[in-house]
Amino acid sequence: MSTGGFRSKVDFVVRIGGEAGEGVVSAGELFAQAAARTEYHVFSYPTYPAEIKGGFSMIQIRIRDWTVYSMGSRVDYLIVFNQQAYDRTIQDLREGGTLIYDPEEVKVPAEIAAKKVPIPLDAIAVRVSGSKLGKNVVALGVLGYVFDMGSAVLDKLIRDRYGLKGSAVVDKNLQALAAGYEAAKTAGIESGVHLGTRSEEKVRYMMLSGNEAVALGAIAAGCRFVAGYPITPATPIFETLAKLMPMVGGRAVQMEDEIASASAIVGASFCGEKVISPTSGPGLQLMGEQLNLASMLELPVVVVNVQRGGPSTGLPTKTEQSDLKFAIYGSAGEAPRAILAPTGVEDSFYQTIRAFNIAERFQMPVILLTDQSIGYRKATVRIPAIDKIKFIDQSVLSEKIVIPDPEHVEIASRIEATEEDLREYKRYKITSDGVSPTVRPGTPGGQHLATGLEHTEEGQADYSPINHVRMTQKRFKKLEMLSAALEKNPPEYHGSPEAKIGIIGWGSTEGAIREARYLAEEKGIKLRHLHPRLLSPLPENRIRHFLVGLKQVIMVEENYTGQFAHFIKGKFGIKPVEIHKYEGVPITPEEILRGIEKVARVVDEENLTRL
Amino acid sequence: MKKTLQDYKSVITPIWCPGCGDYGILNAIEKALFELEIPPENIVSVSGIGCSGRLAHFLNTYSLHGTHGRAVPIAVGAKAVRPELTVLAVGGDGDGLGIGGGHIPHAARKNVDITYLLVDNRIYGLTKGQASPTTPLGERTKTSPLGVYEDTLAAIPMFLAYDVSFVARASSIKVKELTDIIKAGITHKGMSIVYILTPCKTFPVLEIDEMKSMFKPLPEDHPRDNKLKAMEMAYVSNPLYTGIFYQVQKPTLNDRLDHEIEKATAKHDGGKPYVLEELFKRFS
Repeated sequence: MSTGGFRSKVDFVVRIGGEAGEGVVSAGELFAQAAARTEYHVFSYPTYPAEIKGGFSMIQIRIRDWTVYSMGSRVDYLIVFNQQAYDRTIQDLREGGTLIYDPEEVKVPAEIAAKKVPIPLDAIAVRVSGSKLGKNVVALGVLGYVFDMGSAVLDKLIRDRYGLKGSAVVDKNLQALAAGYEAAKTAGIESGVHLGTRSEEKVRYMMLSGNEAVALGAIAAGCRFVAGYPITPATPIFETLAKLMPMVGGRAVQMEDEIASASAIVGASFCGEKVISPTSGPGLQLMGEQLNLASMLELPVVVVNVQRGGPSTGLPTKTEQSDLKFAIYGSAGEAPRAILAPTGVEDSFYQTIRAFNIAERFQMPVILLTDQSIGYRKATVRIPAIDKIKFIDQSVLSEKIVIPDPEHVEIASRIEATEEDLREYKRYKITSDGVSPTVRPGTPGGQHLATGLEHTEEGQADYSPINHVRMTQKRFKKLEMLSAALEKNPPEYHGSPEAKIGIIGWGSTEGAIREARYLAEEKGIKLRHLHPRLLSPLPENRIRHFLVGLKQVIMVEENYTGQFAHFIKGKFGIKPVEIHKYEGVPITPEEILRGIEKVARVVDEENLTRL
Repeated sequence: MKKTLQDYKSVITPIWCPGCGDYGILNAIEKALFELEIPPENIVSVSGIGCSGRLAHFLNTYSLHGTHGRAVPIAVGAKAVRPELTVLAVGGDGDGLGIGGGHIPHAARKNVDITYLLVDNRIYGLTKGQASPTTPLGERTKTSPLGVYEDTLAAIPMFLAYDVSFVARASSIKVKELTDIIKAGITHKGMSIVYILTPCKTFPVLEIDEMKSMFKPLPEDHPRDNKLKAMEMAYVSNPLYTGIFYQVQKPTLNDRLDHEIEKATAKHDGGKPYVLEELFKRFS
């Protein structure tokens, strides 16, 4: 059975665990960066405690000779700095995997079925640099030897990372690196994998986090204004934009809270700019009133919600898919908005561009729903071909604008009023698609009132029954047009047309579901996998098309209540088997596979019929 | 073509109660804009919610009547991206000192070049007579049936403490003086607050007759750059001084943002902005 390059010659998972503040994540990131500069594809995913120091922290890196879809299920190489890291991660080590640990910190029972490699990381760090702080770089040296990276690659990494801190810091780190390398050599661990070469093909790749991909996507879409307020785990989007915006002539403004951030983007959008504000769940709640206003004033704004575990402060550094209903419905009154959920790092770039296209063309807020597991994971991403980015003329119908992918990127802007329109300008003119021409302040004759009160086509307040009906319909017409546009796109599902089992997910679980499908197919279970990016409005006909012939549907979500399943059940009258994970960590392919196998047994035995 | 005063009025007729001070304020704004010869299309007026929030409806500008308390941060976004436009923010005592009061210090820190007209009638008028942050202690309102038991917020000293770069007080019953102060506020490069006391006819806390003898212009020789002196004059309650208490020059938000762009592009090809491909390379 063909699995589309799923089974690879090289595919392994490395995890480093320790106390936060010990440099666990930075060691892992350096290793991932080094691997990304080779011919392989890399995926890294850190988890942090909410505290700056103390608490358990880890990073998992998966390296493959083909696209990496998920962080993987089992760990092949586990490095633990302390007992807590050992206790919390040893169950994930593959049988026969390699355990590298500091024997002075960690007690390992004799019966563990792993290749045990004790390396005194603390002692080595103290010996070469006078402090335990260097142990992360010692660990990097160990990995460098295990994967035969060569000192040129590793030394360059150290110089890139610590160069700005002066030669003394660089030298200390180089010594720590060499000491780790030697220790691994003495211990005699080898992987047989050589990560030393750089393939020419790889030149067109970046190593990006999902959060960075959103920031770059915004800039690519022509956004030149960001207003934000720090909130984990969305802060890196704002930080990246704060750095990049002035470089491209744009503006980044830190506001006093999320209400003010959302207000500022409303003001800037009113003035004709493409705007963005990144946040996470608690921030989205505060932005609610301005998103509501943007729906009423028909202003394009893009808000990114990097979801984290809730409710309230919840699990700030952990992942969850639990803001979907709030994103769709969190408003006073009925306020049209669109919700997009990217599936991974690369998709975050393209869906961000799409979010701008939808916001600008349909003049409404678009919420991009990512989550901590996408935002903080890093992956190798193909550099988009700049010459394939096309700016779309106003005359192109909104429904003809393609969904961006690495081969086609179209960038749309809002429809502007013509001289004819301005003669008797109606900002909220009722049109066949609900979209009225906009005008930038500074344009003579375009002066108008945009009020959050119900208003007429001209923009004047009017609470009459007939007017409220007309204008409500006008605003919702835009959502209908968006949904209709989507129906024309090719189906978004993968897998076998003969499958009797369907699996539906959204957002960050795409990779894990995809791998679970490949694993299931190897066991002879046929599957069809639907993963819509646009979650609201839903392309209903296309989902019906997906459901035809299925006997059972599995829905995978990282939340307790099954928020997306609730919509699917309500709209299509099906009773899916729901797999929920709400532990704050991403679901793995193996966990999904277990669910698929159970359902497959039931479908086989009972020949259940549904739909 | 030379504009007339009429060019600053929208087609919408004001709907305030007869005798409302907001009529005088609207007149003063129109006059100030007309006399400064700012083309109406180059003006963005942002207002909050409340009786004074309606001001944006009656101006023939690019007008945004937004949500309660957010006129200032919306104006910050507007001015940040379009420095060439004149941006006004308008709101009342509830809007600007109650729900939206938290935004003022941060707009002041940015010194965003907007003019904020904070209209204080010491009552929530649109919701029909509830206590506001400036309703005097002991005053009976619908939400303080036995009299207000909270202290009154001292707005001008607060603006001074926030380091707003232009702080003035005026009243709606002296339209000529108000017009001149609004003009000075608009001309000021940086954040200007014109704090306007006005009567509410329907729920009178400030009454016109009382107002006629309340005010006195600041002395001619009042040193505008002296914050401590401004603070002293702001705390005088009888008379209430009108005029510009404080005015200093410092970089505006747009100066600061332009400087950011200069710094970020200084080492790049004669200060030109980076192109997308160059950004991608930084991540590979």
